[in-house]
Amino acid sequence: MEILNLEGAEDTPKIMLDKANGIFELSGRSLPEDSAEFYQPILDWIEAYESDPNPSTEFTFKLEYFNTASSKLILDVLSALEDIDGMSIVWYFHEDDEDMEEAGEEFSELVELPFEFKTY
Amino acid sequence: MSEEILKALTQLFAIITKQDGGVTEKERQFVIGFFQQELDQDSIKEYLELYDKFVGYKKKIEGESEEKSTEEGEEKPVQKRKLTSVRDSVKTLGLCKKINKTLTQKQKLVVLVKILELVGSDKNFTPQRMEIIDTISSVFNIVKDEYKLVEGFVLQEDVSNLQFSDILLVNNEPVNDEPVNDEEENPNKEEETDDAGFPIKKEKAKHFHVEIHGDLIFMKVNSVDMYFVKYLGHDEIILNGFIMLTNRVYLFSNGSTIKTPIGHALYYSDLITQFISDLKISQISFNAQNIEFKFPNGGIGLRDVNISEGPGKLIGIMGASGAGKTTLLNVLAGIEEPSKGEILINGYNTTTQKDKIQGVIGYISQDDLLIEELTVYENLYYNAKLCFANMGEEELDKRVMDVLTSLGLDQRKHLKVGSILDKTISGGQRKRLNIALELIREPAVLFVDEPTSGLSSRDSENVIDLLKELSLKGKLIFVVIHQPSSDIYKMFDKMYIMDTGGYPIFYGNPIQAVTYFKEVTNQVDAKRGQCESCANVNPEQVFNIIEAKVVDEYGQLTNKRKINPTQWNDFYLEKFQFEKVEDVNEDPPQALNIPSKIKQTFIFTVRDTIAKLSNKQYLMINLLEAPLLALILAFIIRYKSSPTGMEYIFRFNDNIPAFMLMSIVVSLFMGLTVSAEEIIRDRKILKRESFLNLSWNSYLLSKLTILFTMSAIQTMTFVLIGNLILEIHGMTISFWLVLFTVSCLANVIGLNISSAFNSAVTVYVIIPLLLIPQMILSGLLFNFDKLNDVISTKGKVPFVADMMASRWAYEAMAVYQFKENDFEQPYYRYEENEMKSDFKSSYLIKALKKKLDFINNNISVESDSLQTIVKKDLDIVKYRLNLESNKKGIEDIDLDIALSLDGFNSQVHLLLVTYLETLKDQYLNAYNLSVLKREKLMNYYEKSDDIDYNVNEYKDKYFNESLSDLVRNIAVKERLLEYKGQLIQQIDPIFNTPDNPGHLLDYRTHFFAPKKHFLGMYFDTYYFNIIVIWIMTILFYITLYFELLRKVIDSFGKVKIPKAKG
Repeated sequence: MEILNLEGAEDTPKIMLDKANGIFELSGRSLPEDSAEFYQPILDWIEAYESDPNPSTEFTFKLEYFNTASSKLILDVLSALEDIDGMSIVWYFHEDDEDMEEAGEEFSELVELPFEFKTY
Repeated sequence: MSEEILKALTQLFAIITKQDGGVTEKERQFVIGFFQQELDQDSIKEYLELYDKFVGYKKKIEGESEEKSTEEGEEKPVQKRKLTSVRDSVKTLGLCKKINKTLTQKQKLVVLVKILELVGSDKNFTPQRMEIIDTISSVFNIVKDEYKLVEGFVLQEDVSNLQFSDILLVNNEPVNDEPVNDEEENPNKEEETDDAGFPIKKEKAKHFHVEIHGDLIFMKVNSVDMYFVKYLGHDEIILNGFIMLTNRVYLFSNGSTIKTPIGHALYYSDLITQFISDLKISQISFNAQNIEFKFPNGGIGLRDVNISEGPGKLIGIMGASGAGKTTLLNVLAGIEEPSKGEILINGYNTTTQKDKIQGVIGYISQDDLLIEELTVYENLYYNAKLCFANMGEEELDKRVMDVLTSLGLDQRKHLKVGSILDKTISGGQRKRLNIALELIREPAVLFVDEPTSGLSSRDSENVIDLLKELSLKGKLIFVVIHQPSSDIYKMFDKMYIMDTGGYPIFYGNPIQAVTYFKEVTNQVDAKRGQCESCANVNPEQVFNIIEAKVVDEYGQLTNKRKINPTQWNDFYLEKFQFEKVEDVNEDPPQALNIPSKIKQTFIFTVRDTIAKLSNKQYLMINLLEAPLLALILAFIIRYKSSPTGMEYIFRFNDNIPAFMLMSIVVSLFMGLTVSAEEIIRDRKILKRESFLNLSWNSYLLSKLTILFTMSAIQTMTFVLIGNLILEIHGMTISFWLVLFTVSCLANVIGLNISSAFNSAVTVYVIIPLLLIPQMILSGLLFNFDKLNDVISTKGKVPFVADMMASRWAYEAMAVYQFKENDFEQPYYRYEENEMKSDFKSSYLIKALKKKLDFINNNISVESDSLQTIVKKDLDIVKYRLNLESNKKGIEDIDLDIALSLDGFNSQVHLLLVTYLETLKDQYLNAYNLSVLKREKLMNYYEKSDDIDYNVNEYKDKYFNESLSDLVRNIAVKERLLEYKGQLIQQIDPIFNTPDNPGHLLDYRTHFFAPKKHFLGMYFDTYYFNIIVIWIMTILFYITLYFELLRKVIDSFGKVKIPKAKG
């Protein structure tokens, strides 16, 4: 399976989806112009991954900020991950960033996935 | 709205308003306003506190810097944008998800509109706020384009920026392009179409002209089929009785009305049609010319009625009670034939060319035409199925659901309609469903009789609104209306007003009706048709003027009218010019495609079956009736009279013959009662369905299918239980066949009376009249030989009895039971021989001898009376001797000469007496031989190892003494009877094969004959009788098909009551 690797920028997060090496990560800031368009490749990749996933997957979110439109798409990503067996989420937040911690908690209530919270 | 959802909404409001500068006082007021709409006074405080908590309202007053929404401030990008906190973003998602789970799409749309309004209340549209709303709409699954439309509609205040095809602008700007709206001549709108010079750049939004200041903006949201309206301007615009606040969005629901200060009324349907652009107006012309109608008693119901209309009109028919409104409607609809004049639809006469306009006319009567046992959906579904043969199930379902939805009945679709007394749906819903039955096939011309009677004003308006909507789709609709409200009155395009005696007195615009009548009577404010301040019209006023009474010198009202109907009619003829609409030359649009007759039968049957199955009471009674009766009857008559012991023995039960009669009576009775109400109940439905030209035959066949099935079940349960208790063995199927046949006949007779009489009570009173003769002439209660001389014929079943099914059925059962029971069956033919020989040797020959002696003694006596007797006796002897095959000893004599007054002498006498002696011996021998054979066979059976046979056991089990006595008639005193020049055998009818058919078609025999002759052949009595009953059934079906009984009764009615109606 191809690796999806997008370098982060001021408005877009860094993305690394690598099945072979077991790296699944979304990090940085997410406030793209058109968030639906930006997230589409990620959703496509997950859909492809779902047909032949690793026995267990640890998906890492290490976000500094995301806007409302992105939040909807992150939820879509999480919903897509819900269908994959052996999926777990690792949610990183800065130790001072209460908001990001609470956002992670809210997400964990919206989807049925095991969440692990870590600070950095 | 549930508490949970309201909390979610409160939080949503809070999250949005706390972005970018936080909530302003205006926004907070808006939220308070929203709470006031949704909540009671106490809860408002509670929710407002909640809102303030979420939004941080108190804090905001102290200082904005504290606000949570700006906490992310440090991470501001270069543009110094304030960012929404990630927590609020996710929280918003959570709230929306929660809302998604409970609210319908329509409700979600309303929520979205509220949120947009909230933001719009202080025009604080920051990107953050809009982004959140945008996200909400996408979580709500509202498509992008529609969100743009809604957003524009709610927020935009400059109408020129609203360029959506789903937006309708209503203002006083002149109509710029094609006069779309001018087609409709709604009197309430004074359209200025002449001044069309001003070019306005409105490329996409629709436009409608009305004299108001400012703009009314309508929006249609296609996905959920909802309409919203808002008003920008300062006039006092009233929506459904409430003043519209400027720039506030309102839901424009079905049947809403908007009133402008100058008295224009904008109706829901008027505006909705603006959105429905792709309408095909069907070409219809309706011309009724010089119609006169006479009642059967000669009274005139309508005088010189002229009505001429094109498509797309809603015409009201009004008049005092008894003026002939319904008569007019019936004549126009072609139910009653006018005595003069003709009614043409597209040039086709409605009474003589019915086939050409099949399905064009729809008629909604005042009656309730629903099938009570079916659900709302089923009522409509089966009706639709009968109208659209070529539609698939899915399409049909969609159509039904569309109609139900448009009438607001979709939520009630699984409710059973129920009777008027046992209501499950409301009166208004009933009425609407009745209308739906006709609406679904969209007839081009629709006649509606008092659709609003008995409805609440809200329901009335809904109903008329619906009709108005239809007329706007190009249908021509006539409505008889009684005491309409102002709003309803104004919805009509034209009014036809009639006065007592069938005089037309007004035909034209409804508002003008008021001014016209005021003018004619020289009233002061004649020009004013409606109230200036409230735009209300008072239709009552019209009737007050028409029926104004003369006042006498004491100031008391007299019974004399100021202006009588003829005078009004004179005014009418003077003032109104009748304009005929050009006849359209094409065929009227037909929305009807009737299924084949077989399919109709099938649909009718399914519909009726479902209705019957859902009526538990009916089902229980009908299914339990038979076994219960059998149980009671059989239990009571299970009589133990065994000479040997205490156990019950079938052979010695004296009640078996009576049981057979009772089972026939029960079958007849059940058959009659189950069918007697069938057609009466459906009569109203049939009247409506007559417009569909559905097959009467199919309808009847469906009835028969159901009734015959019911009869089959009833008679089967009866026979099973009855035979089980009475231990009648081996007769189940054969008894059942007879009873079933009888029951079927009763079904058809029941349908006959059901179609002939008007009330169920009459029908049930008639039942004994049909049943009692059946009992009297069944042959068991009263001996056929001992009836009144007028009807009785000795040796043959009387004619009147031949008309009774009970007699055929009884004979079939009795003969079959005697001949074919397991005991008798092998010996019957020997016994038959035995009995025949015995009868001849011991009775007949003796009688003949006696006659010969008598002839010999008296032939030479010259007395006229004696000569007659001698002549008769000679004939009897000749007839009998001719029947004998063995003529040994008399072969040389010509019986014709020898047995005549001239040819008879003592020599002949001697010869014949000797002959009779040999004949007697021959029969004695035959008798003995038969007895021997029978006993041999009996012995063989008893000794045979193959079967376990014991004569007495078999006889006990299968043979009934009482029945045997009956069919052998052993109680008779005179075993041989002389009657009308014939010797008639009285004993052993069951062994006496009738041997003297008079002609080919002669079927008549004595009662309990083992065989019947017809067309020169012999038939087994059992089958012959069953066939006879079936032939009766077919005959009754034919009378039913042509409704002969009804026609006969109607013709009596016409003769008897010539001066009934006035």
